[in-house]
Amino acid sequence: MVYYIYDGSFEGLLTAIYEAYYRHQNPEKILSSDSIQDNLFIQHVYIKADQEKAERVYSAIVHKISLAAAKKVLYAFLSESPDAATAIYRYLKLGFKLGKSVDSALADPYVFRVHALHKKVSQEAGKMLGLVRFRLLKNGIFYAPIEPDFNILGIIVPHFKRRMSAHDWIIHDLKRKIAAFYSQGQYIIVPFELSGALPLDEEEFDYQTLWKEYFQNIAIQSRINPRLQRQFMPVRYWKHLIEKPGTHDKA
Amino acid sequence: MDLHTKLKILGAAAKYDVSCSSSGSSRRNRPGGLGNASLPGICHSWSDDGRCISLLKILFTNRCVFNCLYCVNRATADVPRATFTPDEVAQLTINFYKRNYIEGLFLSSAVYKNPDYTMELLIATVKKLRNQYHFNGYIHLKVIPGADPLLIAEAGKYVDRLSVNIELPSSQGLQLLAPQKNRDSIIRPMEFIHSKILQTREERKLYKSTPLFVPAGQTTQLIVGATPDNDLKILKLSESLYKRFSLKRVYYSAYVPVTQHPNLPAISSPPLMREHRLYQADWLLRFYGFKADELLDENQPLLNTEIDPKSAWALRNLHLFPVEVNSADYEMLLRVPGIGVRSAKRIIAARRYSSIDFETLKRFGVVLKRARHFITCRGKFYGERNIDELTLYQMLKPSSSQSSGAKPSSEQLTFSSLYPHLFQPQDFHTVITGEM
Repeated sequence: MVYYIYDGSFEGLLTAIYEAYYRHQNPEKILSSDSIQDNLFIQHVYIKADQEKAERVYSAIVHKISLAAAKKVLYAFLSESPDAATAIYRYLKLGFKLGKSVDSALADPYVFRVHALHKKVSQEAGKMLGLVRFRLLKNGIFYAPIEPDFNILGIIVPHFKRRMSAHDWIIHDLKRKIAAFYSQGQYIIVPFELSGALPLDEEEFDYQTLWKEYFQNIAIQSRINPRLQRQFMPVRYWKHLIEKPGTHDKA
Repeated sequence: MDLHTKLKILGAAAKYDVSCSSSGSSRRNRPGGLGNASLPGICHSWSDDGRCISLLKILFTNRCVFNCLYCVNRATADVPRATFTPDEVAQLTINFYKRNYIEGLFLSSAVYKNPDYTMELLIATVKKLRNQYHFNGYIHLKVIPGADPLLIAEAGKYVDRLSVNIELPSSQGLQLLAPQKNRDSIIRPMEFIHSKILQTREERKLYKSTPLFVPAGQTTQLIVGATPDNDLKILKLSESLYKRFSLKRVYYSAYVPVTQHPNLPAISSPPLMREHRLYQADWLLRFYGFKADELLDENQPLLNTEIDPKSAWALRNLHLFPVEVNSADYEMLLRVPGIGVRSAKRIIAARRYSSIDFETLKRFGVVLKRARHFITCRGKFYGERNIDELTLYQMLKPSSSQSSGAKPSSEQLTFSSLYPHLFQPQDFHTVITGEM
């Protein structure tokens, strides 16, 4: 039994799929190097990421299956789920056989899994578009910390680029220690960590208070329903929400 | 009066307005401007009552010359009053928006001095936002009943959505509770907005530069349970509003007893379950191909509060079932209790490739607990045999432990997963809530 081990990057995964095809091997699983466990009966094949091979696989997905499939694969990958790589591999294998109709083959468990992962990731990304909270810093930059379940930073950044094009801003994924920096029409995503608190603009405190007060006053007392609130806005996201207790920045 | 107090008063005063959706418009940002609209809409937070907060929902003022009995801001009510200036509203909107607290502005108002005067103030505010602050985010403006059509036409150029509140489902209700409003002053602006939207759509086909007019369409809302009007009447009304004026949504709001008056019903809590069932029926009208007459009739003018309207319909039409999931057409699949738009589309897509077995149905999100009584899968029937309507009714009813935990609004989650918006090609699977 053969497992392919890739370096955890998207290119690495695509390279592994390339190798599986050209070596005529049928790996039982494809795993990222940080999620392997030793087992005597399993042969581990380490795959080195190769930009050129990855690009060939990517363009094959777009041309032989569909752009939508490429997007599903990327989103499923961003879920960082341990079984994502294997599901993507099987999904693509079937996809190269069926073409774009692979997305109708929902009775296949791997196709369904890729769809499910894609949905989870895009749902969180969609939710995050609303839950990002910017704070205005002293230097005029808007800064927002987030801690999403999935690696969705790259998905949400273009939205804010369109919306806040005339401002400078940073969205910081504290969990993955990466941040998107935007200024004047361009952005980059780089590894980033903060050592201390950032100095906030004077008027920031006033607007945070206004928002908190508004939030408290908009609820209808005879309809209070904390369970429903948590269903839509899970508690794990509250940490960085201004309107939730304990997140208000102190002057 | 400082801004904090004003926002408290005028935010709290606007909370009974149900609509909060920010969907339907794809207004773009301009160079140097701020904001854009997102077609499926974005929710930014959820308040303690579980309703989504998408727009900064405020009244311009709560000083009112009208005296509608059901309203907290009626002229004779003893409540603190406040009025914003256009600049205060614009500043708040811009600064909340930049921090990503909100998706835009929902500006409504009490009738200050007279309808035209109020409408002019509202227009001045949105003009300021668009022209002076270069704001391109979502704006939803409430039409003040009785305002001049010219003012409505002017407002429509700047906003994404307009809404005129129907308030109560019948003109007798209006006469009794809101004597200064009449059916005409509500229906006429709706008609006007509708024809103007159609006109703009035609003109834009010829000249791309024709300015937008209310790109996200119009909505309305009505209060449920303040008058004796039954569900059949309400659904018929909604049906005709969707048909005649192509309304995007009719919002139902359970009457919250804010005051006591001999003309008002004496209830202790808002009829939330009734509101929930009306929303379910509304969805059946819009996305499931049902007609109001199929759901209710004169002998049975009220929606069953124990089971959902689709199950109730299926129980009355048992002769149509069971249907074979591998061959039934889309319209029929949609009518099976437990199958929603999402699962019906999945079934249609998947069976083109291979026939579907019972296990797969579960993965597709079909609620088999309900659906199994109404379908066959590869010819096999999975429900109970030889049971009568009454037993089936008992089985479809949520068990008591469930119904006590599941408050009406918490069911809205399952309900919301049925939205067909999710199938529009778009970047994000936004969870579209009952509030949209």
